[in-house]
Amino acid sequence: MNPKFAAYATPDILVDTDWLAANLNTPGIRIVESNEDILLYDTGHIPGAVHIDWRRDLNEETVRDYVGPEGFADLCRRNGITPDTTVIFYGDKSNWWAAYAFWVFQLFGHTKAKLLDGGRDKWEAEGKPLTREVPKYPASDYPVPAKRDDATHRAYAAQTLAHMNAGKKMVDVRSPKEFSGEVTHMPEYPQEGVLRGGHIPGARSAPWSRAANPDKTFKSREELEAIYRDELGLKTDDDIIAYCRIGERSSHTWFVLKYLLGYQHVRNYDGSWTEWGNTVRAPVAKGA
Amino acid sequence: MPYPPALNELIEFFEILPEPERRENLINFSEAAKSCGPKEGEQFDLEDVRKDEECTDTVGVFLRVGDDNAAHFAIELGPKVQTLTKAMTAILCKGLNGATPQEVLEVPADFVPRIIGAELVRLRSQTVYYVLGRMKTAVKMLLDRRRAAM
Repeated sequence: MNPKFAAYATPDILVDTDWLAANLNTPGIRIVESNEDILLYDTGHIPGAVHIDWRRDLNEETVRDYVGPEGFADLCRRNGITPDTTVIFYGDKSNWWAAYAFWVFQLFGHTKAKLLDGGRDKWEAEGKPLTREVPKYPASDYPVPAKRDDATHRAYAAQTLAHMNAGKKMVDVRSPKEFSGEVTHMPEYPQEGVLRGGHIPGARSAPWSRAANPDKTFKSREELEAIYRDELGLKTDDDIIAYCRIGERSSHTWFVLKYLLGYQHVRNYDGSWTEWGNTVRAPVAKGA
Repeated sequence: MPYPPALNELIEFFEILPEPERRENLINFSEAAKSCGPKEGEQFDLEDVRKDEECTDTVGVFLRVGDDNAAHFAIELGPKVQTLTKAMTAILCKGLNGATPQEVLEVPADFVPRIIGAELVRLRSQTVYYVLGRMKTAVKMLLDRRRAAM
């Protein structure tokens, strides 16, 4: 095992690029690419990888929500995933959407899941193989999960408000200017329709990018503890909510807190700032 | 308002394609974006190279309008620009080169979904419109500059 992984709370939650390159044809795994760049998979992907599109495959198309148990089972069946399949997620943007897809899989209790440390960027930087051949897997008979377990992994706006009122821990993982309210869009992105800037009162700022190295891999446990335990004062049994704008950057931080550092109660507020910043009379704090 | 003929041809080509072929063609155009940049020694009347806050990387627009009143664009994209934006850049270069400045300024943006398809139109894909905006801005800047020099 990669020695860096051994120090994490859940060492086998990550695989590295060398391991994956050596296990492309290992039975029982399914490699899944999830990106922000909608066409990136089509330009070339890790051999054998299937594409799960966060919007088309994971989101409910009418209501702002995720697919239900039927939709999730159907997605898994289409991609030949069974409950025993170990799903290895990777993607662009430092694994934002891979972490998001991983998180959605956890809503349905598919715990046999891992992230590729460094994601697509590291794989490409190392000159590892990419193909445009789209694999075809026989459909599986993935059973419909009994429920979507939002309560454990997901926070809604009303719960976040109650969390705030109770003075519990919240981590705002957006950029410093989004946190302060100086801008209402993510740097290098178009405005996504938020009417107010700032942050949820009581939230602490810890931009997601602080958890990543320049090569997009996760920082070491020691470095992560310096941010979340020492600087933010998070304790292992704290009830914690992470948020960003639509829940993808906060999935990255949720993953760090839960699996790399072992925080037991972490939820992702996926409505995030695009919900909070548009909600009439929602409390907003400005400034650093 | 009719589109310039070359752009119209591309719109008509894309809008009847089934989704897999549409994607395949968009990928091919995205790869062609590499050759849309200025060629060595090529002269332009206007060069507008910058990185705007809403775009992930630098976009350079190079424009020449000759005596025949035809616009000739070259566009250079930074490596972090998304695939769809690269594809739209190559489509716009092919579709608008040779159009008059006035035709470029009057091109409505409603053709974009007809080319890329409803499934790929996303809030975070809005930069596909950005390149068209930058091309129009370049035309306007050049026309203003020429008007001021008269």
